[in-house]
This record gives sequence, structure tokens and C-alpha cells, in this order.
Amino acid sequence: MALVHKLLNGTCILRKCPKPRVASCPFWGTRFADYCSSSFQKPVAAPGKASSQRKTKGSLEERHQREVALEITSPEDKPEISFDKAIKEEMKDHFRRLKDDIVKYWIGPEGRPLHEVLMEQAKVVWQFRSKEDLDKWTVTSDKAIGGRSEVFLKMGKNNQSALLYGTLSSEAPQDGESGRSGYCAMVSKIPRGPFEMKRSYDWSQFNTLYLRVRGDGRPWMVNIREDTDIIQRKDQMYSYFMFTRGGPYWQEVKIPFSKFFFSNQGRIRDAQYQLLLDKISSIGFTLADKVDGPFFLEIDFIGVFTDPAHTEEFAYENSPELNPRLFK
Amino acid sequence: MSWAQAILLARGLSRGWGGICSTALTGAPFSQVPPQAPRGLHCSAATHNPDSSLVPRPPEPPRRPVKALAVHEELFRPALDGARNKANFVRAVQNFAEYNVHKRGHVDFIYLALRKMREYGVERDLSVYNLLLDVFPKEVFRPRNIFHSIFLHYPRQQECGIAVLEQMENHGVMPNKETEFLLLQIFGRKSYPMLKLVRMKLWFTRFKNINPFPVPRDLPQDPVDLASLALRHMEPDLSARVTTYQMPLPKDSPDAMDPTETHIVGIQSPEQQSALARHDPARPIFVEGPFSLWLRDKCVYYHILRADLLPPEEREVEEIPEEWNLYYPMQLDLAYGRSSWDDYEFNIDEVEEGPVFAICVAGAHDQATLAKWIQGLQETNPALARIPVVFRLSGSSGELLASSDLEEPPPPPPEGQEEEDTQQRQQQGQS
Repeated sequence: MALVHKLLNGTCILRKCPKPRVASCPFWGTRFADYCSSSFQKPVAAPGKASSQRKTKGSLEERHQREVALEITSPEDKPEISFDKAIKEEMKDHFRRLKDDIVKYWIGPEGRPLHEVLMEQAKVVWQFRSKEDLDKWTVTSDKAIGGRSEVFLKMGKNNQSALLYGTLSSEAPQDGESGRSGYCAMVSKIPRGPFEMKRSYDWSQFNTLYLRVRGDGRPWMVNIREDTDIIQRKDQMYSYFMFTRGGPYWQEVKIPFSKFFFSNQGRIRDAQYQLLLDKISSIGFTLADKVDGPFFLEIDFIGVFTDPAHTEEFAYENSPELNPRLFK
Repeated sequence: MSWAQAILLARGLSRGWGGICSTALTGAPFSQVPPQAPRGLHCSAATHNPDSSLVPRPPEPPRRPVKALAVHEELFRPALDGARNKANFVRAVQNFAEYNVHKRGHVDFIYLALRKMREYGVERDLSVYNLLLDVFPKEVFRPRNIFHSIFLHYPRQQECGIAVLEQMENHGVMPNKETEFLLLQIFGRKSYPMLKLVRMKLWFTRFKNINPFPVPRDLPQDPVDLASLALRHMEPDLSARVTTYQMPLPKDSPDAMDPTETHIVGIQSPEQQSALARHDPARPIFVEGPFSLWLRDKCVYYHILRADLLPPEEREVEEIPEEWNLYYPMQLDLAYGRSSWDDYEFNIDEVEEGPVFAICVAGAHDQATLAKWIQGLQETNPALARIPVVFRLSGSSGELLASSDLEEPPPPPPEGQEEEDTQQRQQQGQS
């Protein structure tokens, strides 16, 4: 985004800082990290204006215009003007979103009245009815490490579902360090608020994940990532398997959240903990079943609901043989 | 030993340590070709040329142009009968023990054997893995005092043990008591291979039965059996019947494999039969396909016979008859909702698609074979004779074609088939 690029170079008090600075002050809130580090980064060119921290829209725009005038030195006329306009549009968009956010906060969580949110028992989280819904997902494959699998995502039949298809190839990349390869993944993007602040989903009143899919008989893995602000949580995720039946009929897959096991850096850990549902950041589907060939998965929608018959809290006990420290 | 032999031993050890350091850093299994070790201070600047070595060597076998033979690879040369099966593999492993009483180079041999297992077809055989673990000398690598247990005792051997167990894990082989005892004898109770075994026993037993649609491990080789297994797998209705419309010609028949004489196996449930009987002859039904179904590692292609959704105004509304007796109700709704505020429905209209009337698996994906399937279906569904059938066969990709609006222009073959469809329709109308 043009604005992000601009602001990374310049100063903005409202923008969150990149990660290394957050990691350096772990005890403080991330907001404080913003303030303390950004104060050292004010441009020398406009000290007077930058020191005054007025948050009105007009002054910020003026400041950015001045920064634009000072920083861009190369003579490119036409793209420059549209660049300015793009920044203005984005600033307006972000402020609109901030205003909506504040207004929604007064109505209730996520803009819906509290009684509606509390009494809700089934919620559709992701649906695939238009191209904008596809933009919320990213697809990756082992091409990132040099493999040969391909994966594509497009709208399915009649714009009523999403089709994830491609070819899996378990040929290991010849880079001297990977022994195996062959995976394809579709991950949802982390929900962002105004000014690209990371938001998370709160599913604490639900206890089962519901997927309406149509696959081709291959086993998929569903991964849920929790809030990733802390750097140690970057590789941690909770996973479970989704077995597709194949065939022309739609399949309903219900996975209770108590069945998700914990893994770090791709390996199941000995110490297993329950998946806590109050800060979920993204969900993903991975296919890595070591069978070469084409695959497809059609998804209708993804939702969460409360299954009143499911009372289990966590499915995996810790064993004293693997984890003697937990049992002392 | 002489200084020449000492230099060679030093080079070998330094190469080995380089391998350990790199694998310890990356955590990957030991790579096939040992990396070039940084040469020590006492070695000369000239590279060690095998031709100019002081120790006389036997004449080397002619090298293959692509890659050099690994150590001990001659043990895996095809045997006299040339078959690559379990007996030959076992014999090769046993030959290694006879070759070398002190089992020098057993780690490299085990890595080589793990790579060769797939060729010999024994990667899912637990007894072969136990035999391979037996190659390790026993009691040598067990830590005997606290210093051994603090530092990773015999790291290369432990990594090799872990590699054997990891290959077992990849192929889904469950270790047994013999494996456990072997690992105990070789590495001791507190070693990493033993820890991995404990983890395998725990997680394998936990995940053994999580597949709600299990597929047998040994798939049938006969295409008709595989097709009927696939159809039973796809169709949830247990009262559906599998019918074989055509058997494939036996392989030893004099004429070549005729493309129209492949197997055709279909499935249809009684509900689908009655739905087809009630279908309006004015609306066409479509044969769509081929779609792919994966059973473990085998792909089966199937076709379906389906109709389009009726538009909402033409859908017949089911009339619920009035209850004439409240003590013996005809309709009983045992849903979850306990009171009026329970609502477990999702606030979205699910994707609705037309009803599927039958599914079939055929050897060939062309219209002639599928026409035979339709003719076979006509015997049990006489109503099918009056309904026009349109063939919508896509290429080799397994995507479902859009029914009402196609995003991309249809490729030529379906257009050609549309003309044939009109002829088919006339034929159907006449018959």
C-alpha cells in the first residue's frame, strides 16, 4: 500500500511500529512501543510541525503533503499527482473506518447489539459469494521453498462457492537441505481494523467449527493460529485433520475445538494445551498427503457453532512419560 | 598405523564431523553426499587426488555418469533372479553383517538401505525395519555415566535411529515390542530414538481411527472392484445398488484393447430411481464429468447424471397432511432446539444444486462409453428413455462446469457433442 510505504519512512504516531521494536520492549504495551520509538524518527526537515501532535485531519494531510514535497526529488509528474491522491484517499478511508469503529463500539461488539451477540449459537465467519470474499485468503504452495506444486483459488460454480485446485508434487527441491516436500495451503488473512491494526476473532461462546465442503477424498489439515503479536507465537498453531469423502454431494464437516492439538514449528509438541478461543487470528487448510497428482476442494462457507451435545474440554492428556515436569 | 593411513582417517573424521555440525544446525536428515570439509591446518594445499594416493587401491568399477555409487551399494545390486523383493533385500542386509564383522560404516549402510526400501517394495514391512535396526551394534551406544547422558552420546548413530523411525512414521508403520526392545538394547531408555518411539506409540494410537470414511490399506487391483469400492465410498445411501454394465475384455484376447470395451460400473439408490421416474421429460438431464476421486494413492474418475435445479416457481411444495392423531403423530421433529430461543441454523443460504440421479465409473471418458451406461440405466429406469440427455464432459481437470453461466467460453469438444446430443435426443425420442 502506498500509505504504508510512506508512513514507514516518515512518522506517524497512530501507526504501529514494525516488529523488531516491539520485541525489544516486551513488557510495555505495543502502543507505548509506538510512541517511544517513533519520537526518535521525526524527520529533520519539518521539526516545527512534527513536534506538535495535533491529530486533526487537515493538519496531518498538510504535513504529509509537505513531506511529499520534500522527499520526492525525481521529476515524475503524472504518477506523483496520483500518488498524492492515493494517499489522501487512503487516509480518508482509514479515518472513516476509525469513525465506524468508534460508533460500532458504542452499539456493541463488532457493531451488533450485545444481546444478539450473546445469544448467537451459529455464526458464519467466511463465505464465498463474491470475488471480495476470495481476497481474504492467501494461497501458498511449496514453490516458496523450491518445490513443484501449484495451487490456485477461484470462484466456483455460479459464484456460489470457492474452488481451491492445483497439483501436488512431492519432488524434493534440490537445495541440499530439504528431504521432503509437497504441500499446498490456503490461509485466511488476519482481520485488520482501521490503520491496519491487527484484530482477532472471538469465538469463546462457540465450541465447534463447521465447514461445508466438497472434496476429492484427500485428507486435509485444518490449522488455527492464535493472536500473533508475541514473537514466540509465530510458529505455533493448533491443527486437526479434515477427511473429505469425495463424490458429488456436499459434505458437512464438524470439528470440535477440543480436538485441536498443539504444534510448534511444524512438529507436535509433548505438552498439549487446549485451544483458547478468545483471540483467533487466522485459519488455514493444508494438503500434504505425499500423493502426487491434481486435487480440488470446493468450500461453500465456514462457520462456528455451539454443539450442546459436545461437553469435552480437551481431547489429549499429557503423559507423565513424555512430560515428567508437568506431573511433579 | 602409518602416517598415510592416519591422514586418510583424519580426513574421514573431519568430513564426518562436518556432516554432524551441518545436520545439527539444520535439523535435516543426513544428506546423501558428505559436504566438502574445511581442510585442517596440517593438510597440504593440493586437493586429495585419489589417483595419487599412497595406499594402493583395487581398480574402481566404471562409474555411472550421473552419480557415484555410494558405499556398500554393490550389496544392493540386483540378484541372480533380478527380482526386487523382500527376500533379496533381507539377503543384502544380512550380507552386510558378514562383509564386516565390526560393522564399519553401518550408519551409511542404514541410510542407503532406507533409500532402497521403496525400490524393493518393503517400506511398509515392520520386520524389515526391525532387521535394519538389528544392524546397529548393541550395548555400545548406551550412556554409561552422567557425562554420556548430558552430552548427546554418539550423535550420528542417534540421528540414524531417528531417521529409521521417521521413515516408519512416514509410511504409517506402527512399531511393536521388538522395535522397542531393540532400541532399548542399542540406545538405552533416555535416548532420542526411544523418545521418538514413545511419541509414535502415543500419537499413532490417538489418530488411528479418526477417519470417518476409512479406505482399506490394500486397494484391489482389479479395476471393477476398485470402481465398486469407489462408488460405495461416495454414495452415503446404504441401500444403493452397484451394477456392472460392462466388464472389460480379458487381456489375452486376440484383438487389441478396444476403447469402448472398458469396464462400466454404476450405482443408484432407490430414492434416486424414484426421483428420476418423477422427473419432467421436458427438462434435459446432464452427464457431467469426469471428476476425480482419490482413494489413498489411486485416482478414480467418475461421471454423474444430474438435473438442473428447478426454478423456485416450479418447485412443488410438499403438503404436510394434518395430524389426525396427536398420540401417534406422523411427523416428529426431534431437533436440538429446546426452547424458542435456540437457533442452530446458519444465517446463509447454502449452495443448492440439482439432484443427482446416478454415478458411474468407466474406463474411458468418451461419449460412447457413457452412452452405454445410459442404455444400461434405461433397463431399471424406463422413464429415462423419454428424457433428453446432454453430455457435458470437460477436459481432464476435475472442475464442475457452471450450469447456467459459464465464465470462460466452452471448449470445442462440448460444442461438437451438443450436435451429437440433438441426434441422441432424436434417437431417445424415437426409442
